[in-house]
Amino acid sequence: MTEVAVDNSFYYRRIHSLLGIFPIGLFILEHFFTNSFAVHGAAVYNGKIEFFKELPYLFAIELLFIFLPLAIHGLYGLYIVYTGEPNNLQYGYFRNWMYLIQRVTGVILLFFIGWHVYVTRVSALLYGTEVSYQYMAQMFRNPVVFWWMVIGIISAAFHFANGIWSFCIVWGITTGPRAQKWMGKATIVLFLVLAFVGIRALLAFHI
Amino acid sequence: MADTVRLRIKRQLSPDSSPFWEEFEVPMTHGMNVIACLVEIQKNPVTKDGKKTTPVAWECSCLEEVCGACTMIINGRVRQACSALVKDLEQPIVLEPMTKFPVVRDLVVDRQKMFDNLMKVKAWVPIDGTHNMGPGPKIPEPERAIHYELSKCMTCGCCLEVCPQFNEKSDFMGAQIISQVRLFNFHPSGASLKEDRLHVLMGKGGISECGNAQNCVEVCPKEIPLTHSIGEVGRQVTLQALKDWFMK
Amino acid sequence: MSDKRVVVVGGGLAGLMTTIRLCEEGIPVDLISIVPVKRSHSVCAQGGINAALDLHGKGDSPYEHYDDTVYGADFLVNQLPVKRMCEKAPEIIYMFDRMGVMFNRTMEGNLDVRAFGGAKFKRTVFAGATTGQQLLYALDEQVRRFTAEGMVKQWIGYDFQRLIVDENGVVHGCIAMNMNTMKPEVFPAAAVVVATGGPGYIFGKSTNSFINTGSVACMCYKQGAKYANGEFIQIHPTAIPGSDKNRLMSESARGEGGRVFTIKDGKRWYFLEEMYPAYGNLVPRDIATRAIFDVCVNQKLGIDGKNMVYLDLSFMDSDYLDRKLGGILEIYEKFVGDDPRKVPMKVFPSVHYSMGGLWVDDDTDMTNLPGLFAAGEVNYQYHGANRLGANSLLSCVYDGFVVGAAMPDYLKSYQKPENFDKLADKELNEVEKLFEKIYAMDGSENAKKLHDELGNMMTERMTVVRHNDKLEELLGMLDELKDRWNHIGIADKSRVLNQEAIFVKDLENMITLAKVMTKGALLRNESRGAHYKPEFPNRDDENFLKHTIATYTPDGPEISYEPVKIADIPPRPRNYAVDKEETKKMAQNKDKGGK
Repeated sequence: MTEVAVDNSFYYRRIHSLLGIFPIGLFILEHFFTNSFAVHGAAVYNGKIEFFKELPYLFAIELLFIFLPLAIHGLYGLYIVYTGEPNNLQYGYFRNWMYLIQRVTGVILLFFIGWHVYVTRVSALLYGTEVSYQYMAQMFRNPVVFWWMVIGIISAAFHFANGIWSFCIVWGITTGPRAQKWMGKATIVLFLVLAFVGIRALLAFHI
Repeated sequence: MADTVRLRIKRQLSPDSSPFWEEFEVPMTHGMNVIACLVEIQKNPVTKDGKKTTPVAWECSCLEEVCGACTMIINGRVRQACSALVKDLEQPIVLEPMTKFPVVRDLVVDRQKMFDNLMKVKAWVPIDGTHNMGPGPKIPEPERAIHYELSKCMTCGCCLEVCPQFNEKSDFMGAQIISQVRLFNFHPSGASLKEDRLHVLMGKGGISECGNAQNCVEVCPKEIPLTHSIGEVGRQVTLQALKDWFMK
Repeated sequence: MSDKRVVVVGGGLAGLMTTIRLCEEGIPVDLISIVPVKRSHSVCAQGGINAALDLHGKGDSPYEHYDDTVYGADFLVNQLPVKRMCEKAPEIIYMFDRMGVMFNRTMEGNLDVRAFGGAKFKRTVFAGATTGQQLLYALDEQVRRFTAEGMVKQWIGYDFQRLIVDENGVVHGCIAMNMNTMKPEVFPAAAVVVATGGPGYIFGKSTNSFINTGSVACMCYKQGAKYANGEFIQIHPTAIPGSDKNRLMSESARGEGGRVFTIKDGKRWYFLEEMYPAYGNLVPRDIATRAIFDVCVNQKLGIDGKNMVYLDLSFMDSDYLDRKLGGILEIYEKFVGDDPRKVPMKVFPSVHYSMGGLWVDDDTDMTNLPGLFAAGEVNYQYHGANRLGANSLLSCVYDGFVVGAAMPDYLKSYQKPENFDKLADKELNEVEKLFEKIYAMDGSENAKKLHDELGNMMTERMTVVRHNDKLEELLGMLDELKDRWNHIGIADKSRVLNQEAIFVKDLENMITLAKVMTKGALLRNESRGAHYKPEFPNRDDENFLKHTIATYTPDGPEISYEPVKIADIPPRPRNYAVDKEETKKMAQNKDKGGK
């Protein structure tokens, strides 16, 4: 009888799935929400930034709840992308497109978040760049950066929302077709809301 | 022309030779399906250009879409040739072998892997023997009706052909296996092997490699609720993992 | 584990059940099949499997089942094997139930049963309308389990070629060809069980699969096995005519209440119900077929003058139909395009099953060649002149038990001959010679076209109605066809899965077997079950209550006869217009009158 190779890919994959929701998903919600303070102008926004800067154990929190989960989720995600062979031109079903877009946005986000973290956190640590409303607004004035931000925000909103849909099947929360369909609709709504919130926050810098 | 059928067929004369295309034109008959076209080619193995060739090899058995043998790619879509009626197809009808399995010859592929995987997950009820031991366990009819649908799987491989995660880069066993695991885990005596099956699906090529593209359920000729099975078995492995972690 | 291996040829219900039983006896098995066993023709069986479980508490019993079967078979059957089969039937159902077959159930969770032809009790257990598929899968799963344990080695894509027989006719294995490489290989075995199903493909379009050529049975016959009752070919009354094959429309459609009718004088004429008030639409298949044939061909009352009648389910609740008959409704929808839940189906009789087959011993299923066993449709044993619906799955499975019980005894005394290698080489040589001949064929005939002709001539003359002059003509035509076989030209000389070469080999066997059937029919001057001659419209027990036995000679089949063995049920008139009990009384009265 063919022996089944024992390995831990199941647990890796489940950790990948779990990290996508907790903490990364929660962080995305928080991040979109916090940045929305920009709608109320520079003073309010800068105040929020100050608040976060003063958090105790900030670096540990960032490392444990943001950077490490992102790195693990992103790198394992790349491996997942590698194992797939999309066939959307032959089989153009809705869910098959969602499968492809999930992977495309995942790869985009790997670059986008790398860049985003660099300009907002790493450069602050290395060169003491003062991250503020003005700094962001200055950066977004460059149309390339602006559109790159748009792509990043939409990708993040989609990847997170659609990720919830997959998460629910993977963990056996939505098992039946009706539940999956319903969850599909709900996550599309979530995507639209998140994209709206994110873009609105971005536009708030666009003076 | 209305009274002939044009076909474009991807051919390959042996497992390691390179594929090539040939075109054929065969007389049309009433209610004709793709199988009947291939039989016509056997009767007159000559290409559209009048070149003598060998008859096209293909697999078939029941011709009623219950055996799964004649699965191939017809006009870009994987399906059974017997239920592919010429009147519903755009011409030339393009026939190709399935792409996810090694080609033996022409349209014939080797799908042994699917049967091997059934063995891996112990897709059987471990009965004590065939001697008389009275009836099996009672099963409520509504439950029976749901699981009967799963038991119609004819191992044709459509779900694997369209699965972006089923390929040479991964060992993913695919929807067919996951659905069979659901079926046998449901059965009161089949459930004796439930943990074994779930542990196989928690290993290499198991359920976690599913990417939820859900193409499988779109193309399943028996309309088996494969994605339901994936969700259901997803729940079973989640619980099994918790059990393994906290109760052992 | 026994050190003596057994070869099972064919992986349908009979082959798999045999394999399982042999494994349980500790006998390792080499299972040879041209298709992955899950794709065997057993998947096509739809309606169900009979067993007198008396689930409705109406007094059904294995004896009633036995009596119905023998009566349905028009008494051309050795009664003891039938009796044992019917007695075993309930156990067989329970076994499948334990294997996890998703049989339809009642609301209490017990097995559900439905009515079938030729029986007044509901005794057909079923799994939707794909019962054969479900039973096959259950056995396939168990065989996979034994394969995992190392008891079974499956040789998929291997085509049986010849038996290895010694000078005393004892079988020591066989030669089978790996179709992918076209290389014949030797399979030494203490015994060979052929379970290769029926020969429907001889008739061109039938309800059978393309793989049902009867080629293996014919090869055994050519090597000395006797072939019995070949003329008894069942024509199923309701099939969907198609361009490649005729698809079965299960008898269960009528079992669940479906009605057959045609239009006469502008009104629906339910002719079966009118002609056979006692059994109505559920008369045995030979009776229904002849009635439909008569209505269409003689009375010209088919739909729009064509050879078709209506089979109506559309008046029934569609949820009910989906639950009980889903599979066959799908087939009709897919291949015809109409929804049988809404409009009546159009059907016509089609060749379906061979009651005849290799002669086997009543107790062991062994043929006249020691060491060669035959199980399932390929043997002649249980169905006489006409098989009752839902008895075929039963007989296939039951044969597995018969062979399983007989094999240990046979193996005890078996000894591999000293000159085995020589015997094997000789047969291997024969196979190689045959294929060299086939590869070299460069005549003008095409094998598939010859097969078309074979199918047409057989369907025209050897099915519902038979006339002696036509049968004689047919024998001549078959000889001619055989001659033309020698002038086949082969386009494919490849040594990779050369389906053309294999088919050329099979075609020769089909023609040979066609002759066996035809000659048997020609010599049987009576009408019995599926065999109907207008010149001899009555059953003639005095001269023909006996099995036709064909023995191979190079000049054609030699026909002899063997008496039918009666155990409990004296032959009585067969009349489905009245109740079965009536016919028993009629027989008694006749006896009294005679005295």
